[in-house]
Amino acid sequence: MAMFVLTEEGKNYLEKGLPERRLIELLKKVGRITLKEAEEQVENFDIALQWAKKKGFVELKFNELVLVKEPESFPEEEALKKIDAGEEVDEKILKILIQRNLVKKVVRGEVDKLIGKEVTNLSPELIKTGIWKKVKFKPYSITTPAQKLWFGKLHFYKEFLEEMKERLIGMGFVEARGPLVEMNFWNCDVLFMPSDHPSRSIHEVFFLKNPNTGKVLDKKLWERVRKTHEKGWGYWDPQLAKKLILRSHGTAISARTLYKLRKEDLPFKMFAIAKCFRPDVIDAKHHIEFEQCEGIVVEEGLNFRHLLWYLKEIASCVGVEKVRFKPTYFPFTEPSVELQGYVDGWIELGGAGIFRPEVTLPLGIEFPVLAWGIGIGRLAMAKLGIKDIRDLYSEKLEVLSKKFLV
Amino acid sequence: MPTIAYDKTDLIRLIGKEMSDEELKEIIESIKPSVEKIRENEIVLEHPADRIDLFGIEGLARAIRQYTGIKPGLCKYKVKRSGLVIKVDSVPVRPFIGCAIVKGLKLDDSSIKSLMNIQEILHETIGRKRRKVAIGIHDFDKIKPPIRYAGVSREEKMIPLGYTEEMSLKEVLEKTEKGKEYGFLIQEGKLWPVFIDSLSIFSFPPIINSERTRVTEKTKNLFIDVTGTDKLAVLQVLNILVTNLAERGCKLESVRIRYKKKVEETPDLTEKVLEVSKNVVNKLLGLELEGKEIVKLLKRMGYDSIEYSDKLEVIVPAYRVDVSQPVDVVEDIAIAYGYNNFELLEPKISTIGKADELEKFSTRVRNLMVGFGLLEVVRTVLTNQEEQFDKMEVERKNVVEVENPVSKEYTCLRVWLLPSLLKVLSANKHVEYPQKLFEVGDVVLPAEGETMSKTVRKLCVAISHSAAGFAEIKSVAENFLTSLNVQYSLKMLDHPTFIKGRACEIYVKDKPVGFFGEIHPKVLENWKLEMPVAAFEVDLESLLS
Repeated sequence: MAMFVLTEEGKNYLEKGLPERRLIELLKKVGRITLKEAEEQVENFDIALQWAKKKGFVELKFNELVLVKEPESFPEEEALKKIDAGEEVDEKILKILIQRNLVKKVVRGEVDKLIGKEVTNLSPELIKTGIWKKVKFKPYSITTPAQKLWFGKLHFYKEFLEEMKERLIGMGFVEARGPLVEMNFWNCDVLFMPSDHPSRSIHEVFFLKNPNTGKVLDKKLWERVRKTHEKGWGYWDPQLAKKLILRSHGTAISARTLYKLRKEDLPFKMFAIAKCFRPDVIDAKHHIEFEQCEGIVVEEGLNFRHLLWYLKEIASCVGVEKVRFKPTYFPFTEPSVELQGYVDGWIELGGAGIFRPEVTLPLGIEFPVLAWGIGIGRLAMAKLGIKDIRDLYSEKLEVLSKKFLV
Repeated sequence: MPTIAYDKTDLIRLIGKEMSDEELKEIIESIKPSVEKIRENEIVLEHPADRIDLFGIEGLARAIRQYTGIKPGLCKYKVKRSGLVIKVDSVPVRPFIGCAIVKGLKLDDSSIKSLMNIQEILHETIGRKRRKVAIGIHDFDKIKPPIRYAGVSREEKMIPLGYTEEMSLKEVLEKTEKGKEYGFLIQEGKLWPVFIDSLSIFSFPPIINSERTRVTEKTKNLFIDVTGTDKLAVLQVLNILVTNLAERGCKLESVRIRYKKKVEETPDLTEKVLEVSKNVVNKLLGLELEGKEIVKLLKRMGYDSIEYSDKLEVIVPAYRVDVSQPVDVVEDIAIAYGYNNFELLEPKISTIGKADELEKFSTRVRNLMVGFGLLEVVRTVLTNQEEQFDKMEVERKNVVEVENPVSKEYTCLRVWLLPSLLKVLSANKHVEYPQKLFEVGDVVLPAEGETMSKTVRKLCVAISHSAAGFAEIKSVAENFLTSLNVQYSLKMLDHPTFIKGRACEIYVKDKPVGFFGEIHPKVLENWKLEMPVAAFEVDLESLLS
């Protein structure tokens, strides 16, 4: 079954009146008017003139419009009102309205049957036909449990890392990356860790079966490092230095970056979020893969007080404002410092120091370099309230979709 | 980082001043070790690896006395020549020795315990589990000189500590607990190292002492033998041991070691002298310390020093085996100054921060994926070949393999991400579907070059629900590529992981960069998955370039 509804133009005239009415109202006031003036004052003037002339209300005399007959009423306006209200109108007028494109015919489907009834869903049909005016909407229960929704979401741990990154970039640090498979040389030897250092044993580092040996690219650097070890420790194991391992700390990236650094790059600040590996038994506190946030500051004239300032600032990057410092030991820095922060009690946030001359000199840098590393995974756990480190790499979708960075 | 427990009463007695637990903790942590626990009569410390001199209770007490000003400055120890000569034969497996005589012992339970304790800790740490350095401690009065350090046949006999019957050295290795544990250290040598006096073998380093020279509460005088493969380390360990005993009031006597070509007197407690410039100290620490102040700070760390114009001559005690460079002394000055007393100083340098291009791109891709309604997962790079290849129905390929894996689950590095996501899906079968996941992560491929491998950044998407299929994943893949303005072409891909005729390879500039398709039911079966899965994996680095 068909029914009629107002077009946009129809709706407009319903609100403002027909254009010819507006022209006539004007003439009633001024008596006569030039075409130009009338055009300026009446909206849709062409339409108004066309219909006012056709209905014999106005005439053009010496370039001026004059009112010849005053209309008693505008039946089209009455009809528009009726159609909008969903009422029937005279067919003759309806024809004119359709001709004037003020009304259009729509095909009504099932929606007709809904008139006067209570409906559940508001359908496009109901909106188009205007039948929504003749129906009641059933109220919903607001306490019905919401349907579970599948949604996309970033990983909470990555979001935490991103936030840290953003802050460090804001502090002027340039982000660096390095290979996950590393040569012992870069991971340990360049950092002046003696060949028989316990943290280089198979209990602390993943060695590789295949491929197991790397290639020496810079023989001069290799020699400088050999001499440094032989002088400092009395021995060096070049075979061990060539062995490939899985990167065990982010300081390997700092070593590589220092090596590539040119004088014109100074002053220079670098950071890296480095995935590291260590052969541990996996439990709530230990994992074989973890992230370290590593950084260096390179410029002549830097000192221990500057280092401590950076540490405090870096802690505040992750919202830790209360910090303290404690002496500690790393084979590659002297002095070395442990950064502690107050989160839910005092926790160790990371380690730092000034690279030993045995590290910087072979790399061609003749002044102190500030170096720091944050145990970012442990910090994320403290901040996100995670008790089990395995949850950082969780495969449980419930955990992944519910856990948010707050 | 050894963790060592100490008798608190003994420690306080050695310090010579009563201290509260809080005071003790603060002082120790200011010096360097971390206090793990303080209880009724026990204090447990975690030591950094450098300050070996603090491992023993006597050395720890000495450092506390110096730091707190009870007895600051250099500790001098007298060493008298005993006249005893030890002849050293060639012993290739363990060529270096250092010996000492310690007299006037008053051993009680706690001091014997602490002596055995420090011996074990030195073995484990600087001794590298006895390989580099091993220590034997004997009752000197039971030894009948002349003494000889020699390499002997494995058939030679001794009575090992804790046994009553005589055994051959070979049997010592086979029958005793220590022999089984440390035998491998000398097994390769033809001649095995022993100390022999006029009676018999009394020490079999690095394995075991003899029963005959056992130390008891009645022991008054000690003979200490230290042997090893690194001469410097051997002498350092000896120095630490004897200075600790001297702290208990013992008298030290030296021994003459006669190698084939030279003679040495051990222990040698001569101090090292390091020249440190005042300017270096102040420049590195950002302070303006006067020479006098530095001298005073050094005294708190057990050094004496003399000021010469702009330099200091720093006298380093023999037990400070960790000090070799001026920077080592600078750290001690900073420790004496107190790390928390430094005023923080903002550096006046300006640099422009920048994200790494690939990392930045990865972040953009991750955000895009979330817009596609996908949930991000983070998986380990370590995995195994069964998951990477067998379960995916593909032939095993060359991968980066770990020599010392901790479990069968983690033996190699992944070469693609898809198995990681299938594993997540298979762990979540009980969870509602649809499940739509993605990961942006690294894989490592064997390749030529310095590290014989290449770390590659990838994106993988996996979609699983009852109607998941080619059309859906094609739409994700193509909309993803289009949104990045990538010009690409598709080719049909014949791949055993995917259903034949329902997989595509993506080409960018005539180079394959990724693929997508419908996972083959055989693969789903391998992962015990009961829902269809469609997946998409692409190399992000090639999209960036």
